[in-house]
This record gives sequence, C-alpha cells and structure tokens, in this order.
Amino acid sequence: MNVLILKHEITLLLLALGVMLADLWLPPERKRGLGYLASAGVGAILICSLLTSVPESPFAFRQMYVLDGMALFFKRFFLVATILVLLMAVEFSDRIQAGISEYYSLILFASAGMMFAASANDFALLFVALELITVTFYVLVSFQRGRATSLEAGVKYLIIGALSSAFMVFGIAFIFGTSGSFNFGDIAAKLASPEAGLVNNKLFLFGLLFLLVGLGFKIAAVPFQIWAPDVYQGAPTPTTAFLAVGSKAAGMVLLMRVLFVAVPEVTAQWWKLLVVISALTILYGNLCALPQTNIKRLLGYSSISHAGYLLLGIAAATTAGQSAVLYYLSGYLFTVLAAFVVIVLVLRDTGAEEISSLAGLHQRSPLLAAAMTISMVSLAGIPPLAGFFGKLLLIKSALVVGAEHQSFYWLVGIAVVGVVISLAYYLGVVRAIYWGGEAAEKSAVTLSLPATLTVAACLVGILFIGIYPNPLMKAAEAAVLSFK
Amino acid sequence: MLAWTIYISFLGVLVLMLLPRDDARLARITALTTAVAGLIVALMGSFQQANPAEIVTITKCAWIPTLGASYYLAADGISLTLVVLTGLAAVAGILFSWNIEKRTKEFFAFYLALIGGVYGVFLSFDLLLLFVFYELTIIPKYFLIARWGSTRKEYGAMKLALYSFIGSHLVLIGLVATWAVARTSLGHASLDLKELAQATLPLEFQKWAFPLTFVGFAILAGMWPFHTWAPTGHVAAPTAGSMLLAGVVMKLGAYGCLRVAMVLFPEGARMWSGTIAVLAVIGIIYGAGVALVQKDFKFVIGYSSVSHMGFVLLGLATLNTVGLSGAVLQMFSHGIIAGLLFAVVGRMVYDRTHTRDFGELEGMGLSRALPFAGVTFVLAGIASMGLPGFSGFVAELQVLMGAWKAFPVAAVVTGIGIVVGVAYTLRAVQKAFYADGADRTNMTHGAHALEPISIPERLAAVMLIGVSLVVGLYPSVLLNWIEPCLSSPLFERLLKGGAL
Repeated sequence: MNVLILKHEITLLLLALGVMLADLWLPPERKRGLGYLASAGVGAILICSLLTSVPESPFAFRQMYVLDGMALFFKRFFLVATILVLLMAVEFSDRIQAGISEYYSLILFASAGMMFAASANDFALLFVALELITVTFYVLVSFQRGRATSLEAGVKYLIIGALSSAFMVFGIAFIFGTSGSFNFGDIAAKLASPEAGLVNNKLFLFGLLFLLVGLGFKIAAVPFQIWAPDVYQGAPTPTTAFLAVGSKAAGMVLLMRVLFVAVPEVTAQWWKLLVVISALTILYGNLCALPQTNIKRLLGYSSISHAGYLLLGIAAATTAGQSAVLYYLSGYLFTVLAAFVVIVLVLRDTGAEEISSLAGLHQRSPLLAAAMTISMVSLAGIPPLAGFFGKLLLIKSALVVGAEHQSFYWLVGIAVVGVVISLAYYLGVVRAIYWGGEAAEKSAVTLSLPATLTVAACLVGILFIGIYPNPLMKAAEAAVLSFK
Repeated sequence: MLAWTIYISFLGVLVLMLLPRDDARLARITALTTAVAGLIVALMGSFQQANPAEIVTITKCAWIPTLGASYYLAADGISLTLVVLTGLAAVAGILFSWNIEKRTKEFFAFYLALIGGVYGVFLSFDLLLLFVFYELTIIPKYFLIARWGSTRKEYGAMKLALYSFIGSHLVLIGLVATWAVARTSLGHASLDLKELAQATLPLEFQKWAFPLTFVGFAILAGMWPFHTWAPTGHVAAPTAGSMLLAGVVMKLGAYGCLRVAMVLFPEGARMWSGTIAVLAVIGIIYGAGVALVQKDFKFVIGYSSVSHMGFVLLGLATLNTVGLSGAVLQMFSHGIIAGLLFAVVGRMVYDRTHTRDFGELEGMGLSRALPFAGVTFVLAGIASMGLPGFSGFVAELQVLMGAWKAFPVAAVVTGIGIVVGVAYTLRAVQKAFYADGADRTNMTHGAHALEPISIPERLAAVMLIGVSLVVGLYPSVLLNWIEPCLSSPLFERLLKGGAL
C-alpha cells in the first residue's frame, strides 16, 4: 500500500499542527500573520494536488480510501476554499478575542476532514471524516465566546449535529448488519447480485434512509434545514463561509458517492424521493429568504435553496447531472466567498449584520460594492457570471431526464420559480448598497493588500467560470466519468 | 466589422469606469464618442454588406464545444436594420441625457453596457450567446431605472427586472429543450441557429415549445396581457432609459420572437398564429384606449408603446412576407418615434416644468414657452399616428396589408386602434402644448422660468425626425435589407405555408 497517496491530507494535518505549535513561540502581535503563512501552505498543497494525477491503483487501506478523479476534483475545491477562508479569517482576527492561531488550525483540521470525505469509499471513513468536520465546526461556530449569538449558534449546531450523527451511526449499523460490509464496492456488488436480496431488504433500506437523513442535515436539505439560518447568522463570518462552501460540498460528495457508487440500484428506485426533497428545498429556501433583513441569515436561506438546486442534479442521476453539480458547486464557491469577504470587511460591528447597514457602500468602497453586486447577481444566475452556467447545466440535465420521467418537468418548473423569486431578494441587497437610504457610516473602507487580492481572486473566479466555462466543464465531466 | 459595435460599447464602459468621479463633462463626451463610434461602425458595416439576404458570418469560434455553443456573430438584413436602430437610439439617448448631473459616469457606464448587450443580441446567431447577451441587459436596465428614475422608480425597476427574468427563463427552458431534442435529430449537439432551423423538430414538441419561447420573448415586447411592466417601467425610467426601453429593449423581445421562436418552430408558429394575432389586436386597441384616458403625459406614451408594439406582433402573426417585413420595419420606426416622444415628454417638458400632469401643463402654454418642443412633439405625433411621409405609415400599412391576407377580421378591428391612436395623440398635443386655458400671466411666468431647448436636444430631435422622414419617404432603404432576408433559407419553412 502506498501511503503517499494520502500526501495531501498528511501535509495538511502537519500544517495544522505546525500552526498550533507556532502559537507557543510567536509573540501575540504576530499571530495574526500566521494566517497568511497557513494559506500559503495550503496554496503549496493545492499546487501539489494540481500536479497529481489519478494513480494506477487508486485505493488505500483495503479500499477504504480512494483517490479517483472525483476525489481529486473535490480536494482541489476544498483547498481553494480553505485558502480563501483563511485569508478571510485574517481580516476577521481583530474580532476574535483569544486564540486566533487555534482558529486557523481548526479551519485546517476541518479542511482535512473534507479532504478525507472526498476520498471516502467506506462507511467507516465516511463517518470519521464527517465527524472530523462537524466536531471542528462545533468549536468554529462558537468561537466568539463573548457573543451570545455565537454561543447560541454553537449550541444549536452541537445539538442538531449530534442528532444527525446519531441518525447516521444508527443507519450505518443497519447497513453493516444487513450487508456485512462497510465498503461501498462490496455493498454495490452485493446489491447487484440478486441472490443476496439486498435490494428488497427493508432493514437495509431503513438504514440507508437514516444515513441520508444524516447527510441531509449536512447539506441543509428540507426537512433537515432548521439549523442553517440560526447557525449562519450567529457564527463568526469566516466560519459561516466555510460552512456554506466546504461543509455543504463535503455533504454533496459523500451523497454522490453513497448514491451512485454504493447503492446505485436503490437510487434508481428512490429518485422520486430526491425530486420531492429537491423541490421542497428550493421553495423553502427561496420563500424564507424573501423577508430577511440580516444578510448572513439571508445567505443561510439562500444556501438552503442552492442545496435544492444541487439535489436536482443528483436526482437526475446522470453523468450530465453529476457534472452539473460539480460545476455549480465551483461557481458557488467563488460567488458565496466573495459575498462573505465583503461582509467581513464591511460589517465590522458584528452586532449589526443587517442588510440595511450596507447602505452607502458604493461610496465607501466601490470595489466592495461591485463585488457584492456581482456576487448577488451571480447567485441569481444571470450571465455572464458563474451562477448562470451552473443553473443552465442543471436545468439541461433535468430536462433531458424529463423525457423519461415527466415529474422532472415539474421540478424544472419549480426551480425556475425559485430562481425568479431569488432575484427579488438578491436585488434587495443590491438596492441596499446603492440606494438604500442614508449610510450610518460614511468613512471609506480601508482595504489591506491581501484583502483586495482575496476579493479580486473571487471576482476573477466568478467571471472566468462564467465567461469561459469550458475548462471547468471538462474537468467536472472527467471527474464524474472517473468515478463510475 | 459589425462586431466592433459590441466591443466599442463595452470598451466605453471600461473607460468610463476609469475616469475621475467628478468630471461629468468628460464622462458625457466619452459616452457620446463611444455611441457615435458605434453608430458609424454600424452604418459602415451595414452598407458594406453586399447581400443582405445572406447571413454573413462576422466571427465564429468554439466556445463550449460539449454543448455545441460557439461565439458566433453574424448579420443578415434584419440584424442590420436593428443594429442601425440601436446605434441611432444610443446616440440620441446620450444627447437627451446631457443634463444628468447625478453620478454621470456611472449612468453612462450602465447605459453603454445596455447598448453593448443589445448589439450583441442582434448580432448573435448562436442561441446561447444570444441568450447571454439578452440577460446581460437585465442588470443595467434595473440600475438605470432604480437609480436615475422618477415616479415609483424602485417598483418600476423591480417589476421590469422580474418580468424580464421570468420571460428569459421561459426562453431558457425552450432553448434547452430544443437543444436536447435537436441533438437526437441532428446527431450532435448544436446551438447554431442556422443549423437548428434546418433540424426537423417533432410537431408535438413545437406545439408547446413555440408558445413557451414566444411568450418568453414577447413579455419584453410588451404583448398583452404581459405588458404591465411597460407603462410603469417607462414612466419610472429616466428619459434616456425610457428611450432605450421603448426604442430598443422592447425590440429585443420582438426580435427574439421572430429570430428564435418563429424560425425554430415554424409549425408551432402556424398553429398559434391565430392566438397571437388576437392578443396583438387586443394589445393595439387596449393600449390605445388606455392611453386616451391618462392624466400623466408620460403614461400616454407608455401605453402608446404597448399599442404600437401590438402592430409588430400582429405583423409577426401574419406569417407572410409583407406582414413580417412590416413588423421589422415597425420595430425600426417605433424605435425612432417612441424615442423621440419620450425625449419630448421626459427631457424637454418634465425636466423643465417638473410635472407631467396634463392639468398643470394645460396652464403653462408650452407651445409658446417651448416652441421647439411643441413642433417636435407635433411631428413625432404625426409620425406616431401613422400619417404618410413618416416611417410609421409605411410600416403599419405593410402590417395591415399582411394582416388583411391572413386575418381580415383582425385587420378591420385594428382600424379602431388606429382611430383611437389619432385621438390620444391629438389629445396629448392639445392638452400639453395648445391648451386654451392658459392665461397670459401664467404663460409669461412660465416662459421666464423655463430654460430654452439646448443644442444637444435639438441635434438629437432633428436626427430622429430626419431618419423617420427618410424611411417614410424612401422605405426601400430598409426594405431592401429586410425583404430579401425573408426569402433566405432561414425563413423558408416559416413562410412556406403563407402565400404572397
């Protein structure tokens, strides 16, 4: 077995430990800069991962761990997200009273968990990876100990996270009990052979349902979305950003692996369930986002609706649908992070994350106003921005399936209704920036060079993916094809 | 060459963004230079094109090969007509917004972005590219109205944005479905309009895909009963905004109906042409009737736009050469005339008197105070009524001739709309400019207070009236572009059934 196959995760963990150790010797005033160092380190790992190709024997630890095209795609995804979130955390550091280095290293640990999740080929690793993500997030969410809302969010996330973990363990136990294996490949083989009778085994399906409930919590799909708005609102902004991008993507990759690698036969039967959940998630997220006044809460509901769109691609259960999910997530990464960076930089007074406090931003900082506008417009899916092609590909994949299953036409209809509703609240944010009444604060926003670069990187990402989607589409397709 | 109309406009946006914030004059000049350069390129490119019947490729390169999308710009006579219209409307709009003082450079940046998107739509022969340019216009429209508009501007802007967005999503579903269906019949993925027009799409599919796509585009063309964004949007928009909305943005919708919906689904168009004709006639009469009872000067023009766009849709519904070329000519003609009418109401009258209420305007004796505005409005009104000599006459006559062949009853009923059209125009002329009630003192007071019509306004007004006159007296200048197009292979299947 080749341990080097895990080199990205190992280096990332070493980096996280290094950051923690460095905390011991660094004088307090220089700890803030540790974030730059950490993100540079993650950048090096990203470059390394870009140079890595899928090895001949992609499995490790008795097929527990897999490094296929899909895993590699998501590892790069998580590394990019981590870099941007770390840079965001540096800008946020003045609002964290104690232990900024711990904050950085927890982000790195969560990122390592996501990297493992991308490679999970076994229910045991799936669970461990998810717990690594979730437990670090318990701390990350409640990191602003002085703020009641942060603590409240932390408690909520802890309770609901523990509940979902319990569901998941329970489900995995049933799956193991009926199939006799943790491994996705083994279970798929058992399912395919009719004499094992696993397809109709009620207990197996019961276990699978519970597992899906657990994953549903992670991606905040209806009816397991209840925690998202509160946690998004209360958590420190970089945590929220990482939750929106990283945690959701980790849930998605695991969902795809379970549904399409471990239990494809069951997925073929359960598509109706996925269609219903997708439709409800889209409608719930968009309708609830309409009356919101807190920007982070709005993004929380919007992230629920985006989970719905992503599920639409999963419900389609085709290569096109899966690659659309990958594409959509990549666009979502840059778009949402751009929004959160602006929130970090502008709304320094953490008590007031109201949309109305963005008023006058176009005078305080035209760059940030433009970034927020572009981000909102991209979330609504207007070309030539990243969100548009993701939406187009998802609708395309669903319409093609619609030729077989008519209900996909309804799903597309609901998705379109959701997109139209979403334009109203996204434009509400734009409105607040440009003509939302008198600005309470008029001073120009000072931007450090790294902050400007972070914003610029997100904008370049949004525009590049939107104007020239070909490379990313190719990469997403290759990733999906490799994992069949 | 024509592709430069797009690039120049977006280049103008970039340059404007880099200009210093406070120099309004520089911003105006930059914007005007950009628009004039765009117009010159449009005119030169158009007259260079030897054979307007042919679809002349401007650029074509692969964009998203897996979807079969390419960056494919091309032009035929219909594109040329509308590109020239866009150039004219852009220049006129900037001249009429010379007095914008609030955030001038941003205003013109959004303005030019909108113009660039519009050029892009008229020149795209790839469906996805066309759609991207089409949606690109939503945000500039929203900003122009919501930031620089007047009466209920945020409501009007949001309504327009949502209506556009709904429409474009109907279109999007239609396009994606067409892509999927055509992929099986063509054997490869393609979004090339020429190629898709040759693909035979199943009748069952056309039956529902046509109304979806057509209505999606027609929402922006102001088709009754989806027209309600138009009056509120026009009234809320700043002068240049309403000029562009009525002048070119509504044309985007009508152009999409013709170029995409009707060309892709000819059989579907035949199935639904009766319904469209009915809606178009209702739009003509309803728009005219509502315009007749308005108290707000700008609402009169707003509803008249709905009425005039009804002619475009009626022309499209006829499915014969005369009717279709009339529809395209009407797009051009209405773009010019509506632009002029909005300019008189918004810039010449409202910006000076700060009221658009007929009751107040009656007392001002504007024909004395602003003689130029009065004359311009009378001429524009004559053109709008469809009197011979102006472009509106030729266009509406052609539409009616086409309709007479296809739907005789519709043609007759439309006559009512024309009569009402004369009535509301004369009423507006009389109330706004030649009211009896104006007493002397009030008039002299008004004459003192109102600044005279400025040179940019005069220039733009003369240009627009001139264009309308030229096209009215010598319509062949445009018809020579439009008519040969309709006999090209692109429209062959659409017109096959309709004799004439």
